[in-house]
Amino acid sequence: MSRLGLPPLFPRSPGRRRIRAGLLGTLLSGSLLAPHAASAPTFEKDVRPILKAHCFDCHGEGDQRKGGLDVRLRHLLLKGGDDGPVIVPGKPDQSELLRRVQSGDMPKRDKKLSAPEIATLRSWIASGARTSRPEPAEPPSGVTEEDRTFWSFQPIGNPQVPSVGSAGRVRTPVDAFLSRDLARRGLQFSPDADRITLLRRVTFDLTGLPPTPADEALYLADASDQSYEHLVDRLLESRHYGERWARHWLDVAGYADSDGYSDADPPRPFAYKYRDYVIRALNADKPFDRFLAEQIAGDEIARAHAGNAATVALSGSDARDLLTATGFLRMGVDGSATDALSDRDAVRNQVVADTLKIVSTSLLGLSVGCAQCHDHRYDPIPQSDYYRLRAVFEPAYNWKQWRTPQERLVSLYTDEDRRKSADIEREAAELAKERETKQTQYLAEALTKHLEKFDAPVRDAIRSALDTPAAQRTDEQKKLLADNPSVNIHPGVLYQYNPKAAEELKAMDARITAIRGRKPPEDFLTVLTEPTNAPPITHVLHRGDYRQPRDAVPPGGLSVLGNHGHPDEFPSKDADFETSGRRLALARWLTSPTNPLVARVLVNRVWMHYFGRGLVGTPSDFGAMGERPTHPELLDWLARHFQEDGWSLKRLHRLILTSTAYRQSSATSAKGVTLDPGNQLYWRKPVQRLDAEAIRDAMLSVSGSLNRRMYGPPVPVRPDVHGQIVVGEDKTEGDNKMPVDVPLQGEEFRRSIYIQVRRSRPLAMLHAFDAPVMEVNCERRQSSTVATQSLMLMNSAFVLDQSVRFAGRIESEAGPDPARQVVLAWQLAYSRPPRPEEAREALAFLADQSAGFPPISAARGGDSPKAKGATPESEALASLCQVLLSSNEFLYLD
Amino acid sequence: MNGFSMPSPPGSVPFTRRRFLSRNAMGVGSVALAWLLREERLLGTPSNIPRGPQSFDLRQRDPVRPARARAMISLFMHGGPSHIDLFDPKPELSRRSGEDYSGEVTFSFVDRASKKLFGSPWKFRNCGESGTAVSELLPHFSRIVDDVTVIRSMHTDINGHEPSIWFMNTGRAQPGRPALGSWLTYGLGAESQSLPAYVVLTDPGGHPVDGVRNWSNGFMPPLFQGTVVRSAEPRILNLDPPPRLKGGPQERNLALLARLNREHLERHPGESDLEARIASYELAARMQTAAKEALDLTGESEATRRLYGLEDPVTREYGTRCLIARRLVERGVRFVQLFVNGQIWDNHESIQSNLATCCRKTDQPSAALVTDLKARGLLDTTIVHWGGEIGRLPVTENHGAAEKAGRDHNGQGFSCWVAGGGFRGGMTYGATDEFGHRAVVDPVSPNDYHATLLHLFGLDPNQLVYHQNGREQRITDGQPCRVVKEILRDA
Repeated sequence: MSRLGLPPLFPRSPGRRRIRAGLLGTLLSGSLLAPHAASAPTFEKDVRPILKAHCFDCHGEGDQRKGGLDVRLRHLLLKGGDDGPVIVPGKPDQSELLRRVQSGDMPKRDKKLSAPEIATLRSWIASGARTSRPEPAEPPSGVTEEDRTFWSFQPIGNPQVPSVGSAGRVRTPVDAFLSRDLARRGLQFSPDADRITLLRRVTFDLTGLPPTPADEALYLADASDQSYEHLVDRLLESRHYGERWARHWLDVAGYADSDGYSDADPPRPFAYKYRDYVIRALNADKPFDRFLAEQIAGDEIARAHAGNAATVALSGSDARDLLTATGFLRMGVDGSATDALSDRDAVRNQVVADTLKIVSTSLLGLSVGCAQCHDHRYDPIPQSDYYRLRAVFEPAYNWKQWRTPQERLVSLYTDEDRRKSADIEREAAELAKERETKQTQYLAEALTKHLEKFDAPVRDAIRSALDTPAAQRTDEQKKLLADNPSVNIHPGVLYQYNPKAAEELKAMDARITAIRGRKPPEDFLTVLTEPTNAPPITHVLHRGDYRQPRDAVPPGGLSVLGNHGHPDEFPSKDADFETSGRRLALARWLTSPTNPLVARVLVNRVWMHYFGRGLVGTPSDFGAMGERPTHPELLDWLARHFQEDGWSLKRLHRLILTSTAYRQSSATSAKGVTLDPGNQLYWRKPVQRLDAEAIRDAMLSVSGSLNRRMYGPPVPVRPDVHGQIVVGEDKTEGDNKMPVDVPLQGEEFRRSIYIQVRRSRPLAMLHAFDAPVMEVNCERRQSSTVATQSLMLMNSAFVLDQSVRFAGRIESEAGPDPARQVVLAWQLAYSRPPRPEEAREALAFLADQSAGFPPISAARGGDSPKAKGATPESEALASLCQVLLSSNEFLYLD
Repeated sequence: MNGFSMPSPPGSVPFTRRRFLSRNAMGVGSVALAWLLREERLLGTPSNIPRGPQSFDLRQRDPVRPARARAMISLFMHGGPSHIDLFDPKPELSRRSGEDYSGEVTFSFVDRASKKLFGSPWKFRNCGESGTAVSELLPHFSRIVDDVTVIRSMHTDINGHEPSIWFMNTGRAQPGRPALGSWLTYGLGAESQSLPAYVVLTDPGGHPVDGVRNWSNGFMPPLFQGTVVRSAEPRILNLDPPPRLKGGPQERNLALLARLNREHLERHPGESDLEARIASYELAARMQTAAKEALDLTGESEATRRLYGLEDPVTREYGTRCLIARRLVERGVRFVQLFVNGQIWDNHESIQSNLATCCRKTDQPSAALVTDLKARGLLDTTIVHWGGEIGRLPVTENHGAAEKAGRDHNGQGFSCWVAGGGFRGGMTYGATDEFGHRAVVDPVSPNDYHATLLHLFGLDPNQLVYHQNGREQRITDGQPCRVVKEILRDA
């Protein structure tokens, strides 16, 4: 940062951390998941959350309180509504509140109360309808004391690493925490997985690719007892590491190469630079707090604003990187440039809302977006918090002075480029002028020729009518022209009269285009910047409606994380900057060691990618409706360690990957299944299906066709002749838009992260295996098992083609001997040789299959160009390859 | 599954293959075979999270009102069938044929444009008990008129093919929105889950104008895209193996795969996801069987084959597709659309010979479909639609010699017909002016047409909403529409 002349953003002094002892303890008690304490219920702790979720909307927070009833405090319940009190302490059966919810009469619209909720209300009334402390006269705005005790809002603890016996199985602090809990249930880690299993597991997890034979040889040749650690270190240094983990980050960032919203779904041709920035940052192990700060406020760190961003971008690669990082905030759907929008302002406001959703779900792990229209139903996020956060982004996303996606692009044209471009434009303009002259001439000739079809008097009359300016034509002349529509010759129909002339003009157009094509290509960055004028005033919007502004709010953080529930406010304008500095302040707030959410959310997501499930099962919801951490101490230890270890993601990976927990076998045991069937305690490593990109990339890798080139513009996608989305340039011909194959020169075999993410065109192969379609962002992938996947593996052109290529590789590397072919096939697909019975089966299959194919000449029928040059043996080998690529051993990681 | 088992709630049944099949027999997922997609994943969103991505599937859903129709076959005749030569007789036009037309006309091909009125060269006859007027070009159609409603007042007000096709097919004269079939399957799902819900039967002669966009799901998930059933192997993308693998070779592949997967499973006892994947191959095989059976016409009787014109080379191809359409609807497919190759109805030139050729290809099979559906008791619940996106002008498109005369585009007025599924039948509705140029009496826009169809399916065009990025999308996209109750059996 000092290199940019800025004071350090993130002074690290863990000593400043406030530690509230004891709070973590409550998390660890057995009642972790129990909604209610055993003691007598109180209004604040037990009743208010229920009423807040179900009733506040009509009986408290709304403009008008239905039935005159406000249920936000106990004494208001006692006061009651138009029909009198709604509770009678000690007498649940006489309490109207209970009667209404029990009968289902209330709530009117929403989901009804659950039986346990009703039971809680009953028990509270029966036990005297107590409160924890004297109530204020008016319902408090903002968050309550009870709200702030929720686990995820507590400071990140500093738990002691348990000292556990049998130290052999405890390799890292991660193991210490896990093994203590395992031991409590009479369980222990499974034995380490074998070396090949580990090799495949960690190679896929870190790079998204299978180990190559060379990787395998290197690993197996390492006889030291640190061979696995060496492997992890090698993989962390692999350039493919960044590609793999960038994909995870791009999911939460909602990365897409198109604007979305409209049916046209216009491409975002420069978004890929943000993708490349992420890959580079991860490969360089840029400290994650810095990485986040650049994405939230890179423009401000670079001292750029809307007026000078181009100059800053050209000033050096560091500054350009900082600007590129803000592409994070430009990932949302942005339909504001769509033609003929019925409500342009609504679309603009939606861009702001989506961006807030991306920022809050990815970093805060809270559904802050739920507070856009009203106070959050379940979490202590008042509506004003939402707008405080929104105020951070409004200087850049000012819906009243909006900039379209195009207007936000920053040109990377240099002065030299501009000069060259102007010269070329002059050349093009000359030719364009020539074309104009020709066109006028051809139109005149076409008319003269066409008029020859008319008798001389009519011809002269038409000519005279046409020569008369339209406004001065007589009625007779007008009728004459109307009755002879064919004499109205204009450029658009010239082709109907003189096709050759039209062709010639078209050729000239092509030449003009070609000349313009010689201009230095104008490159752009997709960035977020602020203008330097006074920041707009942000208002709370009633019901989230931009047409109903209410109170003005300053920028700031969440109340529940502030001091005693008072939100940290950010300066409206940072005097040291030309821009508002608000996003810089947010970046500081997010990455501050006292922020309890960000580090937890991040380490939880890393954990999820290794174990299939986070320590918190809902990675983007650390609130009341989310799941509670299964291992709160481990979560806190990891989060704190991550912060104190310089936010190094690679070191965090290494810590987890070298743990016994990660290295253990995935085999089940009767004891484990009995005592912990859900493997909540991690007594084994879960078996996981490869995700969509890893499946496609692994096929490319194994077949030998993977193009490992990194970075750059996305490889395009298009609909094929059926409408299925495949890799290819979107070129069609004819009225019926038949796809034209444009050779992609090996680009079609690049890693999936480089395939265009057009929101309206999810690549069939990836979508089938649960790659997200980006509407906003994707917090967690699903993993489905459905017949379509099977059909794709059986019959899709991609898999068939990859099988043929895989077979070709085997033939060229192993020669014609089927036995050697089978060994190599297994080795490449599974990183292991076949077992004897597998080899026998495979050889028998090859023999049967090659005998069973019909003669190629008979079945070719012109529709199987790939069969050209194929022999029954090579076809059988391709079949075997397809079977391996479709098999569970290929698709799943032990 | 993410590879580990979720904690089972108390009393839940262990995840077994049988349970997988019972839950998933009718549901499968993704894009390639979009119709198979079901986004209710095995590891669904935890039920305590009341938000998140919308979940989509093709399971049958109840309409909001009692429905008259449960399936639809659209015989889409893009190019612009000449309504004034087929369904909409214009005596005044015939009387004044050759005179100059005084109305304002928008031409697409101005070089050949003329304002000479061009009376229909064909005779019309009142047919059936209803006395519906039919051109002599459509002898087979003339025998089903009592089951048919001819709408003579369709209009898109746009002359171009593509915008009018988009309008007729998606509700807006712009590209990229979901097709009618997408909306119906989104709203109602489908009765069969082992066949596509929305099938497109393309012409072996090539795709229609604008290609695959005609069955696009637009902003909806690919689940609601039309599935093309081709006339040659492989019939359905990804469902059928390529010819070289068909039969024995693929069976051997699957047998080896099953063995390897079973051995793998033995090394991973209790991994329910691995079991589920093995089962999913069996399900895939069932779908192959179901589709194969639906497309296999060998069981159809001689009489049926003759009815559809399968013996005649002129009608065989289109007749085959009409018969397949009936078989699909019989088996629970919701929406089937047939296209013709290129723009055969776009009779700019030599309409006298070209229009007759189009009619010979389609007349008998189209009529046979209605007759056959009726005989099988399916017409009551199946809508058949026949029509294009525009009509043709009452003036001559001039190509010199009289026999080369044609007609230019006309989006101001044209005809289509509908039958079954709650349409009254035996009537004509609406009218164009005395020359057949503009729809002037009871005009029906594409939005009215869609509203009426949705109404028959028990849906409300204003209430069938798809939420896209915070936008409420409807098939009418906010344009005015009305249910044309006058043509419904019980309005």
